Order: sequence, then structure tokens, then C-alpha cells
Amino acid sequence: MSAADLTQAEGSGQIEQPPLPARIAGGVKGVLRFIRRKPLGGLGLIIVVVFVFAAILAPWVGRYDPDFEFTTENPDYKLNPTVAEIARNPDIGSPQVVNKFEAPSGEHWFGTDAFGRDIYAHVIHGARLSLIVGLGASFIAVFGGLIMGMISAYYAGFVDLVMQRIIDMLQAIPFLILVLTFTETTGERSVAWVVIWLGIGGLAITTRLIRAGVLAVRESEFVMAARVVGASDLRIMLRHVLPNIAAVLLITFSIGIGAYILVESTLSFLGVGPQGLPSWGRMVADGRAILDLHPWLTVFSGISLTLIVLGFNLFGDALRDVLDPRLRGA
Amino acid sequence: MQAYIIRRVVGGAIVIFMVGTFVFFMMRVLPGDPAAAALGLDAGSTSSEALNARRAELGLDKPILQQYGDWLWNAVQLDLGNSFQNRANTVWYEIGRTLPYSIELGLLIVLVGFTVAFPVGLIAAVWQDRWPDYVFRTLAILALAAPVFWTASIATLAVLRLELFRIEVIGQPHLWNDPGAAITWYLIPALAGGFAGTAATMRLLRSQMLEVLRQDYVRTARAKGLRESIVIFQHALRNALLPVLTVMGVTVATIIGSQVVLENMFNIPGIGNKVLTSFLGRDYPVTQALVVLIAVFVVVTNVVVDLLYGFIDPRVRLA
Repeated sequence: MSAADLTQAEGSGQIEQPPLPARIAGGVKGVLRFIRRKPLGGLGLIIVVVFVFAAILAPWVGRYDPDFEFTTENPDYKLNPTVAEIARNPDIGSPQVVNKFEAPSGEHWFGTDAFGRDIYAHVIHGARLSLIVGLGASFIAVFGGLIMGMISAYYAGFVDLVMQRIIDMLQAIPFLILVLTFTETTGERSVAWVVIWLGIGGLAITTRLIRAGVLAVRESEFVMAARVVGASDLRIMLRHVLPNIAAVLLITFSIGIGAYILVESTLSFLGVGPQGLPSWGRMVADGRAILDLHPWLTVFSGISLTLIVLGFNLFGDALRDVLDPRLRGA
Repeated sequence: MQAYIIRRVVGGAIVIFMVGTFVFFMMRVLPGDPAAAALGLDAGSTSSEALNARRAELGLDKPILQQYGDWLWNAVQLDLGNSFQNRANTVWYEIGRTLPYSIELGLLIVLVGFTVAFPVGLIAAVWQDRWPDYVFRTLAILALAAPVFWTASIATLAVLRLELFRIEVIGQPHLWNDPGAAITWYLIPALAGGFAGTAATMRLLRSQMLEVLRQDYVRTARAKGLRESIVIFQHALRNALLPVLTVMGVTVATIIGSQVVLENMFNIPGIGNKVLTSFLGRDYPVTQALVVLIAVFVVVTNVVVDLLYGFIDPRVRLA
């Protein structure tokens, strides 16, 4: 048998895919089994799904436009007030007054903020930024980590050594300060750039995890067999290594999401976060100015943040336990 | 062992050198004019002689590589230069002014965190799958998810509503010259930081204890009729501590990260606060020095932990 035949045989071992409806049914069954085995992970999944729906359907479930400033007619309105009257009541000259700092009610479920805007609508719309940041940054970190981890593990030696030192360097800087270094030196504060910087900041951890995964697979017999029959490095990586580290990739992706959301909210809280979308971190900061009198903005945006991070953490932990218990503590 | 120590120290020095180089070039290659920032102008709004004179004064008119060489040569001789923002202040002066606050707060966070994390982790492991375990695990999961600025805000709210104590502090007291005022100043950030920073430690300690308590030598110890407290503290805990120590570097980095936020929130003029303001003010020398200083903390922690291994666990002394 020639090497070409062997390569052919190796490639033909594909499993026939079942039809689509059966696959969907299988997927649903898998999710249900996951929830039964890991109830906490199931809870996390439900939290995440609820937030995803809130983010997508924000214009409908948010009840109001988050930027709309609610006003009511001013009962004390006078057309030409005297100076003394203005001193007594500064709003007297305006026909409408802003409904600022309202407590939660049937009309405004979470109350209103300093500009008379609905806090509930803001919280619902805030889910978008957190989800974009969490999923986007984690995807970039895993994708970059995959490339770097594969190169590092596959071409051991000098390349590996240099990459390990770079990773050591990135890990010596606290994550928040590392991301600040990127965002503050470039001054790029759009959502897309912050997502990219967060993803690059996460490269150190993802590369390390994925490299360990590749190292474990690299020594296995099927990789050696593929090398013996003359498969190219690229082919071995894509056809043999990649499918076998899929679990590691999925775990690395899911356990990182919460951390990126937290760092984005911290940047926003400090006033150096991404611009253009409502951010829970910025809302917590805005609410702090009048925390004692009107805690609603801070309380509700913080609860949402904690819940979404909790959801991703619970789901990620459970996924890791199910797919690869050896990575516990990663 | 000696060769191992030397290798670890040299490795740590290389990492610190790389951090310095990284921050230096990040700050310079990318846009933003510190001369304009120091003069309080928007970059690009003026090209006056004042700006050029300022650049020359700050040494920013030289080629980048020469600036890098100068900075490195001076840094090796422990001359970190002067702040861009306050030209009269040396960087060492700024560090000397800010570092004590950060060390005080950092130690308090570690103190709060570990006095909570260790007993709680132990209790959760010993009473596995009973109510203390569930309560503490739930709290740990929540602590990992809640952002530190939010827990600190809620703690502030609680103190204000319940009128526990006055949060406002006059001046900037240290623990040694006005302990009472300093404690009320540091209390909320220390609690919030400790809560967040050590939830991971508690979880790790719990899972390690569970692992160790299943080992044969623990069964042997119990079979010998040793008291349970001796089994747990002398046989199990010693072995469970090792992995907890391993992640100390990460724990320290996490705590420093949360100190940036907490110092900013509570107007504590520490390193974390200074890093943020010097980034925003494009104060190159201060930013570079502080980021390197923070990296030194993390790296030294890692090296010390690695070296401590040998003393705690003779099994790894060979490495």
C-alpha cells in the first residue's frame, strides 16, 4: 500500500451525518441531558439565554427608548415669573419638568435617572454591550490563542521559548492595567477596538491552555501515523490536532467570557470604557453620585452585571466539568 | 538548588525587562502628545514654539531608539527621571508618596481575604455537601461574579443607610499616624477587595482539601486514631496549600487590578490611582515606572512562591 492510499484511507473515515431534524432533536436532547447532569450549569445557561433574548429584543422588551427623557406638565408653571419666584422655585419658568430620580413604579419598573430616562430600558439595552464584549473578546482570544498555541506547541524549541517569554511578560501585568495600556496609548475607545484589546489581553491565558491541549495530542499515535504517511504540518494541524482539541477550545472560550465582561464594565466605571452604547459599568458610576438618595441606577445595573457574569461562569464551569474534568481549576 | 534559584531570578529579571520595553514602546509608537498634555492643550491644536521647547525639555525630540537607550541606561542606574506633569517631582518621589497607601490597602485586602478564605475553604471541604458547604460555595460564586466597584458601592450604601460610621475622611491619614481615621477610610475597599480577590483561593483550597482528604495517608492517620484536628491541619492542609500557593502570583495581580478601581473610588492616592491618572495625562516616566513596579511585585511573588515550594514540600526540592 502506498503512502497516497493510506492518506486516502485516513480521509475516508468520515461518519455519515444524520439528517437535519434528527440532529436538532439530538441537540435538544443533549442540552436537556446537560441540564440534568449539571443543574447549576443549566441555571447559568438559562440566565445567559434570557440576557441574549433581552439584548436582541431590547427595543420591544425594553418598554421605552432608553434615551427618551420623561417630563410632566409643571403644575406651578407661570409665564413671566419674577426673580423672587424663580429663587423660590427654579422650575417655575418651564412648562415641563423632568421626571428625574423617580423610585421604581408600575410606569418605570426600575425608576428614572438624573435626566428622567427609564432605568429599566437602560438596563435592558446595556445587555448588548456586555454580550458583544464578552463573546467578541473571548472569540478573538481563543482564535489568536489557537494560532499561537499551535505554533508554540508544534514547533517546539526557539519559537516556543520566545512565545513563552512573551506570555510570561503579559501575565506579569494585571489584566486591567494591560488593557488600559492598549486603550490609553492608542486612544481607541470604540466598542470594536475595546473588544480587540480585551481579546489581545486574554491571549496569554488562552495560548497557555491551548498549547497544553496541543502538546497532549501531538504525542498521540494517530498524529505520528499521519506524519509517517507524509501528511503536511498544516494538514496534521487542521485534520488531526484541531478536532481533538475542540473541547479545550470550547472550554477556553466559555470560561473567559465573564472575565472580559467584568473588565469592560470596570473600564466603563472608571470613565475610560467603550463609547456609543449604554454600559452597566458606566451606569453604576453615574448612580454613585447620588447613591444615598437614589440607589436604583447603581443597584439594578450592578445586579445585571453580576447575573450575566454569574450565568457565564456557571455555564463555563459545568461545560468544563462535563467535557474535560482534567482542566478543573484552569 | 542554587542553580535553580539563579535560573528563576534571571528569568524573572528578563520578564521585568520585557515589561519595561513593552510599555515604553506602547506609549511612544502610538499617537498622543505628552508635551501637549503637559501644557494642557489638545494634541494638534497648536504647533507653537512652546510645544517644541517642551518636547525638547522632555527629551521627546530625540529618535525613539535613543530615548529608549537613555531610559534603559538611567533605569539600570535606578534613575527614573522626573514626572512630565509635575516637572519638579522625581518619579521616585511620586512612588514614595503613593506606595505606602497601596501597601496598606493591599495588605488589608490580603488580610481580610485570607482570614475569610482559609477557614471558609476548610469548613466547606470538611462539611462537604452539607449546608455550610452550599452557603460558602454560593457566596464564593457570587463574589467571583460581582464587580468589585459594585460590591464597594453597595457596602457604601449600607454604611450610609445604617449610619454605621462616617465615611468622609479629613486629610490622607496613614495607619501609623492616625489609625482610627485610616481604618474607616480603608474599611470598605478592604472588605470589597478581600471579598472579590480571594473567592478563587477559597474555591481552590476547598477542591484541594477534598482531593487530599481522599488520600491513603489521611486514612492511615485516621486509622492510627489521631485526633481529627491533627489529621486536617497537619496531614491534609499542608498538602492542600501547595496549589493555593502556586496561584499566589495570579492572586496578587488580581488584587492590584482591583486596587486601581478601589483607590480611584475612595480617593486613596496610591499606586493604582496614580497609574490611571498618569495614563490619562500621558505622563510617560511615571506610567512606565509604575507598570514596571507592579510587574516586579507580581514576578517577585511568583519567584518567592516557587522557591518556598522546596521548604513546604520536600518532594519538589529536586526540580
